[in-house]
Amino acid sequence: MSKYVYLTCTPEALVASMLPPEGFGMYLSTGTKKRNKAQTIFFEVDLPQIEKLIDVESMNRRCVAKEDGSPKSSVYLSVYRVLEMIPLSALKNLYLTTDHGCVLELKKAVYDKSREKAGALHLYQELAPVTPHVASDLPPSAFLKRLTDGSQPITLPKLFFVELKLGELATNPLYGSAEHLPYPNIGHLRDCLEILRGEYEKHMKTVQRIFSGELLYRTIDTGFYVGAKDEIVHYPYPSMKDLEDMNYEFFRAI
Amino acid sequence: MISSIFWIVPVSALIALLFAWIFYRSMKVKEEGTERMKEIAAYVREGAMAYLRRQYSVVIKVFLILVVLLTILAYLGVQNPFVPIAFLTGGFFSGLCGYLGMRTATYASNRTAWAASKSLNSGLKVALRSGAVMGLVVVGFGLLDVALWFLLLNGLIFTPEHMEAGLKFLGLTFVHPGTTEHQKFIEITATMLTFGMGASTQALFARVGGGIFTKAADVGADLVGKVEAGIPEDDPRNPATIADNVGDNVGDVAGMGADLYESYAGSILATAALGAALPGLTTDMQIKSILAPMIVSAVGILLSIVGVYMVRAKESATAKNLLNALLLGTGGSSVLILVALALLAMAGWITWGVFGSVVAGLAAGVIIGQSTEYFTSDGYKPTKGIAKQAQQGPATVIIEGMAVGMLSTWVPVVTIVVGIVAAFGFAGGFTDFAKGVYGIGFAAVGMLSTLGITLATDAFGPIADNAGGNAEMSELPKEVRERTDALDALGNTTAATGKGFAIGSAALTALALMAAYMEEVKLWIGRLIDKSPEGFKQIGDTLFYNKVMPSVQEGQVAVNVTTATVKDFAAAYDLSLFNPILLGGVFVGAMMAFAFCAMSMKAVGRAAGRMVEEVRRQFREIPGIMEGKGKPDYARCVAISTAGAQREMMVPSLMAIIVPLVIGIIFGVPGVVGLLAGGMTAGFTLASMLNNAGGAWDNAKKFIEKGNYGGKKSEPHKAAVVGDTVGDPFKDTSGPSLNILIKLMSMVSVVMAGLTVALSIF
Repeated sequence: MSKYVYLTCTPEALVASMLPPEGFGMYLSTGTKKRNKAQTIFFEVDLPQIEKLIDVESMNRRCVAKEDGSPKSSVYLSVYRVLEMIPLSALKNLYLTTDHGCVLELKKAVYDKSREKAGALHLYQELAPVTPHVASDLPPSAFLKRLTDGSQPITLPKLFFVELKLGELATNPLYGSAEHLPYPNIGHLRDCLEILRGEYEKHMKTVQRIFSGELLYRTIDTGFYVGAKDEIVHYPYPSMKDLEDMNYEFFRAI
Repeated sequence: MISSIFWIVPVSALIALLFAWIFYRSMKVKEEGTERMKEIAAYVREGAMAYLRRQYSVVIKVFLILVVLLTILAYLGVQNPFVPIAFLTGGFFSGLCGYLGMRTATYASNRTAWAASKSLNSGLKVALRSGAVMGLVVVGFGLLDVALWFLLLNGLIFTPEHMEAGLKFLGLTFVHPGTTEHQKFIEITATMLTFGMGASTQALFARVGGGIFTKAADVGADLVGKVEAGIPEDDPRNPATIADNVGDNVGDVAGMGADLYESYAGSILATAALGAALPGLTTDMQIKSILAPMIVSAVGILLSIVGVYMVRAKESATAKNLLNALLLGTGGSSVLILVALALLAMAGWITWGVFGSVVAGLAAGVIIGQSTEYFTSDGYKPTKGIAKQAQQGPATVIIEGMAVGMLSTWVPVVTIVVGIVAAFGFAGGFTDFAKGVYGIGFAAVGMLSTLGITLATDAFGPIADNAGGNAEMSELPKEVRERTDALDALGNTTAATGKGFAIGSAALTALALMAAYMEEVKLWIGRLIDKSPEGFKQIGDTLFYNKVMPSVQEGQVAVNVTTATVKDFAAAYDLSLFNPILLGGVFVGAMMAFAFCAMSMKAVGRAAGRMVEEVRRQFREIPGIMEGKGKPDYARCVAISTAGAQREMMVPSLMAIIVPLVIGIIFGVPGVVGLLAGGMTAGFTLASMLNNAGGAWDNAKKFIEKGNYGGKKSEPHKAAVVGDTVGDPFKDTSGPSLNILIKLMSMVSVVMAGLTVALSIF
């Protein structure tokens, strides 16, 4: 049986498994006895690229089929500062699961900066290594660079985040319609966005310090981003119409 | 001599049953799908049949007790001696319709799902024609029962010899000696009317029991399966999922069928009774007045069958095309019935005034159905408004939903008011009151004349819903589930309009029954006068007599009971709002609607509680259940919901029977008239509110689940789920049960009129 290595993001951990991504996603969400329910987000990691970083012998010893021949579901390899350790090139596709265990695969893509909308405001949910909910006037590449290039007093070695929908608030924070934006405390969000629009020196504003642990998948806008400084990897999120066609189970579950 | 055109009535009834058989056979020969699909369908079928067996065993006991009581009353001389038997036949045919409809629906679900794997149109055809089985057995058996009773009473009981010498059997007088030809038809129609009580009683148990069952199962499946265990809807690991699917059939097939069977038969019988009592008719005209509602219904059956065949769509049809195809079937039948009625009017079988009354009834049915669609569909503002309020939280969802429900009552109320006045006026009610109420009865007959196809589209809903469940549990491919989803959405639309139609027809039928009640009072006063040594009966200041006019004192009037009008009785009994007894009855009637709702809602809560415990127990105790390795005990959940429904339905059901009886004995005719008026107005308005609020909450939640306001799991969704949970017993238990309550109270009053007239305290 093949071995896979996954980087789970909420919380960060490097996990070896004999389960392919769909099976691993189902296992992470619902557990062996299917009595658990939790949303999860994880990358598949290219094992050969990280062999020097982990104790492969230990992994091979522990990640073996069970006595009854069934595959080993998970062997934890690391649980601390994992994202910063894994090279971006080793990250393969990204997987999202619903708490029922439906899995959506998002393909790794090259980020196209030219498609960034000028002048619009953005809303980001940081997912690893820190998890605040942040409004910003910076597009994803600039947002990532600002938080990881060391130019600011507070910096991160690497960042994984997702851009969320802002609708009309992206261009009209005060009077734009907030319909279909299911964020708690819309008034506070409007204030945060308005501050960004008014103060030229301020490019980020924390909307919420603590992540609830659950993303509303229908609120995802352009997709997920991971990287550091000028290196950025994009996992585009499909439109609802495309999602319905590409993964009906997932579409129905969200 | 009965005209040969009468034979269209039993022949149409038999044709309906023949086509029901043809549709049933054509459904049965369709492919059943995979082994998994067959297995799931078998679980649902077994559960549905187990429910019916249990329900019928309880209903039979209640019926036997009531038959004994009715027989005792017949021996006491205050009850029509035919009632115990007529009561049983009404209940039997209603129960038979429920059985056949459920059997067909539970065979059709997997076949519909499998047909949907070919095309949307194929799925529609299987589901609609299976639904048509329910529609056609209801109208077929309803009209057959009417025709058989008419033939039996007219041909074998009220023979010239019996009318001259009288007919006694087992110590009961079935035909009074010296019965005239005119009295004969009044007696026949009054007797036939009583079989409606059997249908009403069976319908009440079917509606209340079915409503409690379906919501107990639904809540159990949702609260534990979806919320606690986190598994999706219609997941086979959920022990309550089969009970949930059974509930769709129990509530929306058997319950709705019994409800409309009762409206259908009740409207024909009440109109026939009102026709028989029209003053100043020759015997020939009297017979025409009696047979006209039966003939219109018979023609309606034939046109309903034509309507079923008019529902066609291309293999590549979209959901919108399917809805238009269904509308063509129901609308086409309605247009054709108007053409047929115009021909009957030209032939002199009905007046053009009655034709106008039927148009009023048909139009009222369409308007009420469409307004229900407007207030409950997520394509329109009211439901979207509830979804929008979900952004603020569950409290505003409840407030907005209640407001939408309350506001939604204006259209059906205004429509019924206009319909009643129009039907009354068209039939000549402003110059002759009796003709006016006959016209109102005909409005109900007109509304229900195309019940064959209307009920087919109603029963289509649960079949499509179950087909979706079957496809989901059998893990059929995406395109099949998309099609079953489309059929389900279409079924939700037809179910919503069907609920509006059911309450509208119930209101008109109840009104016709209320008018027929006064005819029954008149009949019983005549009988009591015959037995009275003085030769008259004094009510208030009026002395009703039969043959010899009694001497009157100052302030009194003497009225011959055979020529007395409703207005004479209204004056004698002081049927005005200034009579505190009548006003008291109005209050009690209005209270009945609310108390009945409260009882049925609390019953759902208790039954659902037991279901929740059972589902939790199974998740806890059955090894491997969540992994799909351990098999859930579906039958036990069905049994628990069934037992809960039977236990909980008894008190509200018996209350609906006992209260009119008690009010009649204590407060007499004014109390009963007040009770019926209060029950009908409050019940109709409350039912419209409950049905529409519940439907709007349900669709507001679905609107959010389509991705609006954040979609599933968002805070607005959680708020909308609260609204939907509150609305479930509104729209599926209490609201629909009110249809029967208002009809059953009228029917009990009609059947117990003799007791009320003879023994009332006030």
